[in-house]
Amino acid sequence: MKITLRILMLATLLTAGVTVQAAAIDGAKILEKVDRNLEPESYEAYRQLIDIQPDGSKKEYVLYTIKKGRDKVIALFLSPPSDKGRVTLRLGDNMWLYIPDVGKPVRITSLQSVTGSIFNNADILRIDYTSEYNVAAAEEQPEAILLSLKAKTNEVAYDSLKMWVDKKALLPTTIEAYAASGMLLKTLHFKNVKDFGGGIRRPATLETDSPLYKGYKSVMLWSGLKKGSFSDSIFTLNYLPRIQELRK
Amino acid sequence: MTFPPRPWLAGLLASLAVAGAQAADEYSFDAAAFEKKPFELGGFVQFKQEDSALNRDGAFYQLGYFGQPQRASLDRSTATVELTGKLRGGIGTFDFHSHSDLQSDQLGHAQSNVLYEAAYSLRPDPGITLEAGKRTLRWGKGYSWNPIGFVERPKDPNDPDLAREGYAMADADLIYNRDGPLQTVAFTPVLLPVQHDVNSDFGSSGHLNPAAKLYLLYRDTDIDFAWQGQGSRPARYGADFSRNLTSNFEIHGEWARIQKFPKPLTDSQGQVGSKVGNATSYLLGLRYLSENDTTYIAEYYRNGTGYSGQEAGQFYQLVATAFAQLQETGNSALVQRALKLSQGSYGRPNPGQRYAYFRVQQKDALGIVYFQPALTAMLNLDDRSYQVTPELLYTGVNNLDLRLRLYSLRGERFSDFGEKQNSRRLELLMRYYF
Repeated sequence: MKITLRILMLATLLTAGVTVQAAAIDGAKILEKVDRNLEPESYEAYRQLIDIQPDGSKKEYVLYTIKKGRDKVIALFLSPPSDKGRVTLRLGDNMWLYIPDVGKPVRITSLQSVTGSIFNNADILRIDYTSEYNVAAAEEQPEAILLSLKAKTNEVAYDSLKMWVDKKALLPTTIEAYAASGMLLKTLHFKNVKDFGGGIRRPATLETDSPLYKGYKSVMLWSGLKKGSFSDSIFTLNYLPRIQELRK
Repeated sequence: MTFPPRPWLAGLLASLAVAGAQAADEYSFDAAAFEKKPFELGGFVQFKQEDSALNRDGAFYQLGYFGQPQRASLDRSTATVELTGKLRGGIGTFDFHSHSDLQSDQLGHAQSNVLYEAAYSLRPDPGITLEAGKRTLRWGKGYSWNPIGFVERPKDPNDPDLAREGYAMADADLIYNRDGPLQTVAFTPVLLPVQHDVNSDFGSSGHLNPAAKLYLLYRDTDIDFAWQGQGSRPARYGADFSRNLTSNFEIHGEWARIQKFPKPLTDSQGQVGSKVGNATSYLLGLRYLSENDTTYIAEYYRNGTGYSGQEAGQFYQLVATAFAQLQETGNSALVQRALKLSQGSYGRPNPGQRYAYFRVQQKDALGIVYFQPALTAMLNLDDRSYQVTPELLYTGVNNLDLRLRLYSLRGERFSDFGEKQNSRRLELLMRYYF
């Protein structure tokens, strides 16, 4: 009888312990911190996208990016010459592409890629994870916290994400992106944590590979990331042809 | 226990250190090289080779080769240079876009230099832009046609993405943003003068033509209202919209009405008159991206200024009658009359009233990144004539576009695509950007 009682008490304590442990991880708060640790809510930055083909040949793009609030992003192509002057605008779920010769913005989708690389438009014009995903589960692992994220709507590019977050820095180290069917679409690897100044310390390198593009790899490099303040008028279709003039 | 020094191990470690350093360097990026410069110059050079099979029974072949040696085919080479540049100072920017080409075929050589755009812009505030000069304004949401493109030269539906020459004008852009369902309001007023040496192909001279566009982003839908006042051309107004129904499915539409539009009409004997009436044009379209990265574009276009099958048939009959008369009597008066009409609205790329457009393109086809085959079809719904264009595009080499297209035109006698100058055209294009 005593043994049964002890087992019951032990089981109760263990259960309570697990509950306390689970309650200690607030996935939503961690995701909010990840968002702010990755970038200020409003910022400007330069990014280089490198697409590496199986034979080792590369295509490189340089983009000037500005973001305001939780869901307004613009990316201006500065290089290569074939893409120079192209601008992509994202307002929440809406995305447009402006090509100078075409002369007017056309709507594009998050799954397309304006560069033709493994990075799609949702990766290039990424807004806060908390704007697009709910935390379905949070699990503490020896070195990381694993967040399982579920898209809030069908408009989001990936149906679900598995995000491994560094416990100390609260920065993502790896993200796996899945389709609604459960198929792995791509894996993002965050590397080379760097101090950008102004209290911003985040990975300067993002690599991606995909089982859909065997042998191909895409890399995104960050530079000149800093807080910014921008007029709402900039995030409009009419302003896209003039974005180049915005840079200092 | 100690280990003796091993030179090969030290060498290996040194090699690994160098390799590691190279790997780190491989991904270094400094944005300083991309700072904004006071002056920028860019552009492309292009070579295009076209081999055309001529449609010797077609009305436009007969008119185009009237008085010239008759041919079954034509090979044309075109070299093009387009330059774009910007000069910045304070809140002002001067920009230009020039186009120069040199054509050579069995008929001879031709050269052209056109300034597509050259304008000075002032931006005292992100929400305000004032500019004057030659500018290309593109209005409308249609991919292949734009009924509300009131102040622009018509686009070529065979190459809708091509840059085009603008008009000299003064215009402004006033942008207002707010929270709520109506996120953006933008107003674009335009003044477009027409004199004998300024914008003379816009319409009759001696007018300062006013036009305006109001853009709204309302509940995630793009909406434009466009207007052009009476002047060098009849007054017109219209609207368009574009919206994503899902993230990979977009719909768009345009509607325009031209008031008191004078449409030149001929009968089969060359009696030319003008039918005046309100002309209503509209377009409905969609763009869909499949899970396999296949993009589908479909559009229906109703051209209110176009010719019905019967009206166009009268013109084609006129051409047939004119050449029959020339052969019988040697009198070319009727041919000259038909030739003049062909240089006007009868000779537009799409002179009909109802068209369907369909394009399908596959990204990264056959597992080759940057390889994009496409198939485009354009159909005149009144006379069932059509044009089909398979295309191969490769952009995998830095700054180089390689494109191969084959235009095939089919149609009965007296039909739109059946009377064009070519029955088939193979086109190879190489464009290098700098």
